[in-house]
Amino acid sequence: MTAIVLQAINGLSLAALLFLLASGFTVTFGLMRVVNMAYGVYYLLGGYIGLTVMRATGSFELAMLVGGCAIVVLGFFVDRFLIRPIGSNHLAQVLLTVGVAFFVGEVCLAIWGGDSLKIQLPSYLRGSVELPGGIYYPKLRLALIGFGVFAALSLWLLYHKTQIGAVVRAGVDDREMVTAMGINIDLLFVLVSALASFLAGVAGVVGGAFLTLNPGAEWDILVLALVVVIVGGLGSLEGAVLGSIVVGLLDAYGRWLAPDFSYFVLFGPMAILLLFRPTGIFGKEH
Amino acid sequence: MLNLRALMFGGAVLALSVAVGVSPAEVQEKKPIKIGLLAPLTGPLASPGTEMVNGFRQYWNSVNNMAGGRKIEIVVADTTCNPDQALTQARRLALQEKVDLLVGPLCGHEGPAVAQVSAETGVPLVMDPAGADDVTKWKRTPTVIRTAVSSSQIGHPLGEYLYKDLGLRNVTFIGADYTFGHEVTLGAVKTFTDLGGKVDRIIWNPVGTKDYSTTVNSIPAGTGAVVPIVVGADRIRLFEDWFNYGMDKKHKIVASYWLHEDVLPQLDDRAVGIIGNVLHYVAGIDTPENKAFVEEHIKLYKRVPSWFAESAYTAGLWVKTALDKINGNVEDRDAFLKAMRTVEVKAPRGPVKLDAYDNPIQNVYVSKVEKVNHPVLGNILMNKPIKTYEAVSQFWTWKPEEFLARGPYKR
Amino acid sequence: MNIRVIGIAVLAAVLALVPSVASEYWVGLLTQILIFGLLALSADLLLGHAGLFSLCHAAFFAVSAYTVAILQTRYGVTTIPAALAGLGAGTLLAAIFASAVRTRGVYFILITLAFGYIVWGVAHRWASFTGGDNGVTNVPPLTLAGVQIATKAHYYYFVLIVLALALALYRILTTSPFGLALRGIKSSETRMRSLGYRVGAHLYVAFVISGFYASLAGVLYIYFNRFVNPVAAGFPYSVEAILMAIIGGTGTILGPFIGSGIILILRNWVSGFFHYYTAVLGLIFIATVLWAPNGVMGLIKSLRSGNRGEGA
Repeated sequence: MTAIVLQAINGLSLAALLFLLASGFTVTFGLMRVVNMAYGVYYLLGGYIGLTVMRATGSFELAMLVGGCAIVVLGFFVDRFLIRPIGSNHLAQVLLTVGVAFFVGEVCLAIWGGDSLKIQLPSYLRGSVELPGGIYYPKLRLALIGFGVFAALSLWLLYHKTQIGAVVRAGVDDREMVTAMGINIDLLFVLVSALASFLAGVAGVVGGAFLTLNPGAEWDILVLALVVVIVGGLGSLEGAVLGSIVVGLLDAYGRWLAPDFSYFVLFGPMAILLLFRPTGIFGKEH
Repeated sequence: MLNLRALMFGGAVLALSVAVGVSPAEVQEKKPIKIGLLAPLTGPLASPGTEMVNGFRQYWNSVNNMAGGRKIEIVVADTTCNPDQALTQARRLALQEKVDLLVGPLCGHEGPAVAQVSAETGVPLVMDPAGADDVTKWKRTPTVIRTAVSSSQIGHPLGEYLYKDLGLRNVTFIGADYTFGHEVTLGAVKTFTDLGGKVDRIIWNPVGTKDYSTTVNSIPAGTGAVVPIVVGADRIRLFEDWFNYGMDKKHKIVASYWLHEDVLPQLDDRAVGIIGNVLHYVAGIDTPENKAFVEEHIKLYKRVPSWFAESAYTAGLWVKTALDKINGNVEDRDAFLKAMRTVEVKAPRGPVKLDAYDNPIQNVYVSKVEKVNHPVLGNILMNKPIKTYEAVSQFWTWKPEEFLARGPYKR
Repeated sequence: MNIRVIGIAVLAAVLALVPSVASEYWVGLLTQILIFGLLALSADLLLGHAGLFSLCHAAFFAVSAYTVAILQTRYGVTTIPAALAGLGAGTLLAAIFASAVRTRGVYFILITLAFGYIVWGVAHRWASFTGGDNGVTNVPPLTLAGVQIATKAHYYYFVLIVLALALALYRILTTSPFGLALRGIKSSETRMRSLGYRVGAHLYVAFVISGFYASLAGVLYIYFNRFVNPVAAGFPYSVEAILMAIIGGTGTILGPFIGSGIILILRNWVSGFFHYYTAVLGLIFIATVLWAPNGVMGLIKSLRSGNRGEGA
């Protein structure tokens, strides 16, 4: 029984990390119809910048802030000067953003080298807490789950309870209508995209403490985030929440109960789900 | 005036040639020996790949890039740890760059691919450090010799160490789920169970597993010790989850392949006292050869060399010794390979020589992580040998025929 | 005479002359470019003609290569039956994976991604059969009617001949009513549906044919490399095939080969003297999207029509 609960918490901590990356991806897709394959490298670069800040200042909060903001800047440039000019062609977007990912990935390799690097945690997140029953549970993971829930709740409130959220939701459903209502959709795009980039950068800093940073990590995490988004349904915030939880739990329980199939634990169910429900759990046809 | 200068120059050349024992005519005649080095410089294994290039260059610079009276030229190719790419690059080095010999590759699965290029083109391959057992056992190539290590060669002593020295009777393995991991893990399982030990469980993890929480929480209660064989970024993840889940309070950990010099800077004092590796090289070996190598490496690259750097360094030393023996006549490939097969080398890792199956016979060290104060690097963690298995063969104590008849270690 | 015919004749002549002027290495690299160009072309049958972005073509490529390699090395099967079995196995897998045509757009991309991962996982995990990471090595050279095609130049000619036949068929296919129907589906699925076309069946067949072409590339690859390992089935190869097609120009025959040339020369030759070649590749992708959205072929076309415009 304890093992079942323990694995559930393990799965949820990975889910929280994935959610940070996937939520941005899914909302920007929903609103702007942009497939941005550079999110993986946003995560990696955000993490590396956070690592440098952490080493220089010793403040994890500052590392998250700077890591996130740096990616907001990068994301803005990529959106404005690269993605915007090419319009809504998914194919071109994929090629372009893969190009960005290759380029930034190599820059990271040139600056930070090929070692697996870990962001040192502040003392209050180090070590573990002892739960009843003599179980040790890492503080970082509990904090991560808390952070994930906080991020999901804030996004949900923003999305469903504020004026901006209402406009964004309307934009996801019908872009022309929003424009016709005289709302500056450009500004809206910039804001949403900045938020998504910020989350990706923060995810990198958190991920750097949780999973380490190394060349190639950008693709590992991107593929997982894609699975989350697809399982949940593209463009849906609730879908991203559910997708993250499903992927996190599948990973934990799958590797625990059926370690021999750990290579198929994620992609097998995903392929089957998509065959029967091509738009994911919460998705709409795009 | 000009003539005088020319005369002086000529005299200097003459004096220099006399000193190294060759005539000026010979210096001009012999073209440089080209060595192709195959290493991953980009991708997830860029870091060990870079160490490999550094170790190789370190050696050749220390002997002025000369061997057998000829200049040495090194051509580096990026394999990205992809066998397809390794194969293509090996072909490029052999056919286009016309290298005299190949050194590399790093990743185990690149090994057989590059060995095939050696077979196709006849260019000798000094395999380092790819560990695939096959290469020096069931799928040997006449032009391929190995200077690093066979995967299971480091697994065998571990099994005995667990049983005899630590008195363990039941253990759990955490194995990296790919060929290298299978061979090391199952090699240790073999010697351990042959002695009468029992394996409680082997938990296999794909390389690049994000989350080790599931793994550490799957360790059976009451197991005698946990033996990890993990690579790459997984090493740090396992380290964190091991302590964060309080496993250090529940279980003993004796690693086969885990805390190498390249990850130690990412760890902290919790690592002190752990048996972090059972390997043919650790930086803390206390011999003059090794100390000279390690200090020089730290001076050049500001980091403690791991076995990847030592391995490439020794490959260089080995090639140099062989080339000196045949007076640099690398064009005679048979003579070169024969020299490689017969010379004995005093490497940083200890004395090494090849067995009849082209794999080194060498020491294997059980090592513990210690904290030391280094004059350049400050307080650092270091692997120090606590037990040495001397002159370990890839066949351990079995007869080669017996081992070969048994077949490869497969999951 | 038609400019196209002249172009093809000149191209064929140049290609045929390569082995007599270029070194063995360049002949090998060119062979590789042609083989991966064929893989890119196979993926482009779906992308350029039917508008479907597949990320699992490396799976067919690898399954066919593995089939040949295992049959030849382990069961001593000779070239022709082994190659046919390879083509059959890859195409059969395509017939199964073709169920992905139930989906469109991003969903199609991701379902094929999942399919690709599964095949990669099997190649990796089922080590007792596939050889795991080490893969299958030392596949014997191609042997036809007792004659071994062992040298690089001879194999290059063999690839050229196979390619000429395959491309001729491809051209016939894409200009046939079937090919035109595919293009119709690409531009407007609903219109084709209302015209009474069975859209699903068309896409299914296109998927299987494109799987056949990928399998053909797999057979050519295994006799060239004489080695296969799970990397061949991996996600990066599928992505690369598509990127080659886009860089060169989708919906054309020459485009995928040009893209294959650009990427492989960068990786295999430029990497020898420039360490950060992946960054260059990234910049090429970006530049293609911004300044040559229809790939190199599109660029050539617009230059040509531009020139003509001036002359008129």
